[in-house]
Amino acid sequence: MIAFVSGGARSGKSEVAERLARECRQAGGGTLYYLATATASDAEMAARIARHRRDRGAEWHTREAPLALGSALDGIDPGSSVLLDCLTLWASRARFEAGFDSATGTAQFEALLVATRARSLDLVVVSNDLNEAVLPGDLATRGYVAFLQCLHRQLAREADRVVEVVAGIAIDWKSPSA
Amino acid sequence: MQLFIGGAGAGKHAAVSERFPTARWHRLTPGDALDAWNESLADGMILVVTGWTAWLEAALAVERDDDRLRGRLVAALETLAVVESEAGSPVVLILPEMGRGIVPMEPELRRLRDLVGWLAQDAAARAEAVWYVRHGLIKALK
Repeated sequence: MIAFVSGGARSGKSEVAERLARECRQAGGGTLYYLATATASDAEMAARIARHRRDRGAEWHTREAPLALGSALDGIDPGSSVLLDCLTLWASRARFEAGFDSATGTAQFEALLVATRARSLDLVVVSNDLNEAVLPGDLATRGYVAFLQCLHRQLAREADRVVEVVAGIAIDWKSPSA
Repeated sequence: MQLFIGGAGAGKHAAVSERFPTARWHRLTPGDALDAWNESLADGMILVVTGWTAWLEAALAVERDDDRLRGRLVAALETLAVVESEAGSPVVLILPEMGRGIVPMEPELRRLRDLVGWLAQDAAARAEAVWYVRHGLIKALK
């Protein structure tokens, strides 16, 4: 199963996503993997990462999400659940550090989705909804939002489940049963 | 009247194109009269009206009174409703959602986001159907 969980800042998306990943794993009995996208660029970010890690608990195996997302799942056993948290940060590295255009970004992301299905894994992707605000006028930010929205539409199209989180409450946009 | 509302890059245009492949599209031109859409009207053809953000950006630079500008938009919506019933041309509006971020520092952007929000409310109140487009998926709100 591939799931897409998004919402605003501190809406509770990580908790909802972790619960989803755990539920998938219970059915299969595999391992829980956490694909981290954040780097500790300053003290606030380091504290934020530590808080997330503490909230998740020790059962999660943490890995760095590489820019070449297709290789992110190498060596992970079938039946495991993988949580990518969050796509917004991966997209900002892909865009601003690696200079990916939309075609490269969606191709890298597609490789992750294909690898998920090929390896019989469950994947839950967390992201931020950034596109319902007044956007800054500069082209770099607008280009980034357009890039991120390409990934969001691609993921929403291919995911089995799409969930919006508001104040910790999960709102279903797409579910396997529907 | 039908409304498709969603954020930047949400997939509104694709959603409307898919549902109304034969519709005529009218993109509002900044600085032009709102009823320039009359040129795009044809009996029985669906009319899609888009380009509200750019039109409003230009309009609020000229009209300093937000209530008057909102009033002009409401009048235009009511005209559209009449046109729709008289000409038998269903109208589809594509509207942006931009009200969910931090309050902008620039006064003109605060006005823009207010006017876009009011426009959405005023249009939704008059529409038979309202659709929320989010990451390419669609939910019926009305």
